[in-house]
Amino acid sequence: MAEMTRRERILAASGKRRADKLPFFHNWRHCQTGWAERECRNRGMGVSWARPSYVAEMHGVEMTETQAVSSGEQVIRRTYSTPLGSVTLEEKRETGVEQWHGLRSWQDVTPWQTERAIKGPDDYKVLKYMYENLEFTADYFPLEQAKEWLGEDGIVMDWVLHSPMQLLMIDWVGSEGGRFFIHHARYPDLVEEAYRTISKSYEPLWEIAARSPADVFLLADNIDAVLVNPRLFQKYFIPEWNRCAEVMHKHGKLVAAHCDGRMAAIKDLIPQTSVDIIEALHSPPMGDLPIGEALSLWKDKVIWTGFPASVYTMGAGATKKHALKLLREAGSGERLAVEMSTENLVSDENLLVLTSVLEKAELPLTAEKVDEIERLLA
Amino acid sequence: MPEGKYLGALKEAIVNLDFGAIVEAARGAMEAGVDPRVAITEGMVPGMAVVGEKFESGEYFLSELVVAGEVMKDGMKIIDPYIKGDISTAVERAVICTVEGDYHDIGKNIVITLLGVQGFKVFDLGMDVAAERVVGAVKEHKPAIVGLSALLTTTMLRMGEVVEALKAAGLRDKVRVIVGGTPVTPDFADSIGADHCAVNAMEGVHKCVEWVVGKERR
Repeated sequence: MAEMTRRERILAASGKRRADKLPFFHNWRHCQTGWAERECRNRGMGVSWARPSYVAEMHGVEMTETQAVSSGEQVIRRTYSTPLGSVTLEEKRETGVEQWHGLRSWQDVTPWQTERAIKGPDDYKVLKYMYENLEFTADYFPLEQAKEWLGEDGIVMDWVLHSPMQLLMIDWVGSEGGRFFIHHARYPDLVEEAYRTISKSYEPLWEIAARSPADVFLLADNIDAVLVNPRLFQKYFIPEWNRCAEVMHKHGKLVAAHCDGRMAAIKDLIPQTSVDIIEALHSPPMGDLPIGEALSLWKDKVIWTGFPASVYTMGAGATKKHALKLLREAGSGERLAVEMSTENLVSDENLLVLTSVLEKAELPLTAEKVDEIERLLA
Repeated sequence: MPEGKYLGALKEAIVNLDFGAIVEAARGAMEAGVDPRVAITEGMVPGMAVVGEKFESGEYFLSELVVAGEVMKDGMKIIDPYIKGDISTAVERAVICTVEGDYHDIGKNIVITLLGVQGFKVFDLGMDVAAERVVGAVKEHKPAIVGLSALLTTTMLRMGEVVEALKAAGLRDKVRVIVGGTPVTPDFADSIGADHCAVNAMEGVHKCVEWVVGKERR
């Protein structure tokens, strides 16, 4: 087989076609720029770059941000004012936010919401108004530009931060102290109505995204089945993912869902979804579902596995050992790609050692090939 | 209504995660003269135990653990005014926090609720807690256990700093250190010198109980 470009390799695996080698790539927002990154890219590491296909505007909603001191700490206080009232959140931004890519700090963490916008039942009517008056407009320039710049070095993804219920769980109500679960139990009608309103507001977004020039559409949902339990996943996530996928598939676009948490509790529900790629799946020790089992259970899915950051913390030796273990669990290596990190920055040392394993992973993988890789790196 | 019926109603309200029923049951029990201590220890605590069993069997999930704890709090709001004096029988203490730089507390809060049900007096230091604050709390409260939580690989490294700070303060051999959170692994726990890595909230609480009941204290 002729050697594929990095882009061809990722897209072949993602489309369930045979690639020449196991695709591996770095997520743009966790990717350092420098000699090690250049060396790894020269040795086959691709790049995935996520940019939006739309701009969003809330009509009749005034959003103001002020600096304030809360509990002795500097915060950004953001207020959304509507004719039905206002909601306010507070956000702590570490050094580097707005100076680093992806609105992250120098430590590669996103701002912390230290106070949530939706605090009690009265806030839901404001949120509902905001989403009833939300308009998405197509803007494909960021994707077109990224595709032109990236060329054959990787793939460009369109993305939405969270699907409707995950927006409530993570962004608006928040999970601190189990707040979302408590709201869901105390005010089920309000939560349900907010979910339906947000879901309806997303319908035009799916249409815009389906027509974008991106290779893949990413539902960046941060699924962890410990939080998104099977009942929640079945009721609120599967229908939403399937609605999204139906529109994307009409336009020939692949859909990925970001599932970086523990997935074992919902492993039997994943086949009910129509998404093409389970993205950021973390095998043990961070996740609870080995890659081999996931590949076996989800035969119509492609898995982009996120290399566990907790393994990186144990050093290059642990990284090499885990990478070889991953290859041994991967079977033939088809329907699989490796993301160097979906969580945070990777040290040069770890990036190089992981590349040294993955660059040799010619497909189809066999136990003998993995043994040979191990021998070469001994 | 006999006392047993009230206690059963309190237990059922928690097992069924029923905010309305717990208020009704607690109010009924207090108005009928049920001893508030009995209402708690023989009504609500057994309810939480059933919820814990359902969690371990896979019937209930984290969300139900959280909501059950909240239902119990609503019951406590009714019962609290009837309590005269300190009813605390807690003999073991625990200091718990989410480490510096991390603002996730759902797991920590569940552990606190469950430890309370198991009779621990828990000192919750909150989120984003620096090592020196943990050391200060250990000096002040003299706990048997220090629990550290983190959800990010960037912040879990702070757990090691806490262990080191406890060592530097000469306190490490006075407490058991238990760590937990999605990215935290047994290998990592070993590497920083923690005593145990909790698989989940229930398992972590079982370990704490095992330590103090077995008096495996250092």
